[in-house]
Amino acid sequence: MKLSIRGLHKSFVKPTTGERLDVVRDLDLDVRAGEFFCIVGPSGCGKTTFLRMVDGLVAPTGGEIRVDGRQIGGPGPDRGFVFQNGALWPWRTVLRNVTFGLEVQRRQSRAEAEARARRLIDLVGLVGFEAHYPHELSGGMRQRVNLARALAIDPEILLMDEPFAALDAQTRELMQAELLRIWQETGKTVLFITHQIEEAVYLADRVGVFSARPARVKTILDVKFSRPRALAIKRTAEFLAPVDEIWRLIEADARRSFAS
Amino acid sequence: MPVQRSNAVLGIVSLIGGFALWELSVRLFVHGDLIVVPPSAIWTTFVRLVRSGELATHLAVSGAEFAYGFALAIAAGIPLGMLMASSRTARALLDPWVAAFNSTPRIALAPLLIVWLGIGIASKVALVFSSAVFPILINTLTGVRVIDAELVEAARAFGARPRDVFAKVLIPASVPFIVAGLRLGVSRGIIGVVVGELLGATAGIGYMLYTAGQTFDTAALFVGVVVIACFGVGSDVALRWLETRLAPWRLSAESAAQ
Repeated sequence: MKLSIRGLHKSFVKPTTGERLDVVRDLDLDVRAGEFFCIVGPSGCGKTTFLRMVDGLVAPTGGEIRVDGRQIGGPGPDRGFVFQNGALWPWRTVLRNVTFGLEVQRRQSRAEAEARARRLIDLVGLVGFEAHYPHELSGGMRQRVNLARALAIDPEILLMDEPFAALDAQTRELMQAELLRIWQETGKTVLFITHQIEEAVYLADRVGVFSARPARVKTILDVKFSRPRALAIKRTAEFLAPVDEIWRLIEADARRSFAS
Repeated sequence: MPVQRSNAVLGIVSLIGGFALWELSVRLFVHGDLIVVPPSAIWTTFVRLVRSGELATHLAVSGAEFAYGFALAIAAGIPLGMLMASSRTARALLDPWVAAFNSTPRIALAPLLIVWLGIGIASKVALVFSSAVFPILINTLTGVRVIDAELVEAARAFGARPRDVFAKVLIPASVPFIVAGLRLGVSRGIIGVVVGELLGATAGIGYMLYTAGQTFDTAALFVGVVVIACFGVGSDVALRWLETRLAPWRLSAESAAQ
């Protein structure tokens, strides 16, 4: 297993009331090497906290997270994080945003880092925008930079936190197809979080359905569509079956979080 | 014509018109040169003071006082602002002092500083320092504190150590705030120099103003005021230029927002 999670637990203490709040409880998950694994769950279920723990940005209260059998102890070059809202540094150009990880990890010379960054900028389709600042780009382009930045450190696993949630519907569709193309070219293991069921079904080899808070893995579904997948499969009858099945699994939880 | 250029032309026309009106009305309506003098008389006096070397001497003294005081204000204000932004203990310890000193008009300290440090350069350096350090410190502190937490988290996610976060995130993000603090500090520092020299000095532009006032040399008074104004405007232009060099991303962010 590329990524192996056992008995993961996270609780916060509410500063106002002193009450303990379980966000993630008894979570087990295995992700295979080279796999595209999506997690869907009702909003506010603790998906993002879960992903931050896998990256090492947040320390778990209990349980263990192993990458290739080694327990993680913080952010590492074996994992690259793609943030929901870009989180690009506004004072850095596209090129400098992408080289950042290599700069601070000091694994390569500046020239090598730049050459690698330029290859990734090409991979995500942003040639010609190297010298632009983030605010000069559209939302879709910013998320391409975000992806190139994560790929630059050549991670084993890409952790993606609802990266297309803020994009308009058409840009989101195109970005999904782009992501599949890039994933197939790079062969990375991907752990992708979304609240959109059809996005998960289109992208994933397997979809893990999370319960409402505290988050656990409720069910894992195999998605059997062949690859490469065209966007058109979303408008076929076969596509609706897994979408509907996942919706029925999270409907009760979703309604509860909707009402509260 | 582009809007910016036509604005500049209008500004120059307005200045020339204003000076012409001034010259004309003084010549027509004012007798004697005790109260107001025309721009031509100010110019003549300016040339005289330059030729005699007087202006250069005073300017050198004031300039040195300002430069030392302002350099000290930068050297103390930026690191202390960073320290207060990153340590809760430092903030708790220093905040009452900063609040107390910042709300006291520093000019009120001038007589005390002159008693302590004499009428030489040291008392003015201290006055410039105490005037300029707080805007610089407070702006640095604010600049670091308003940084989007996600930008720091993203840096950590890619393996940045605390000193990388400091050098590659906290510093560049706070540059626009620091430059704004420097601009505020310059205008406060100039007030410090002039007031300090008015109250007790042996040389400097403020001293020149004082002696000109005592001897009813109205033209020399105007020369002093214009020199101070030019120094203020010049420093502000220089700092704005510095900002475009240090934070080019911000400039294009402003034009993109329009």
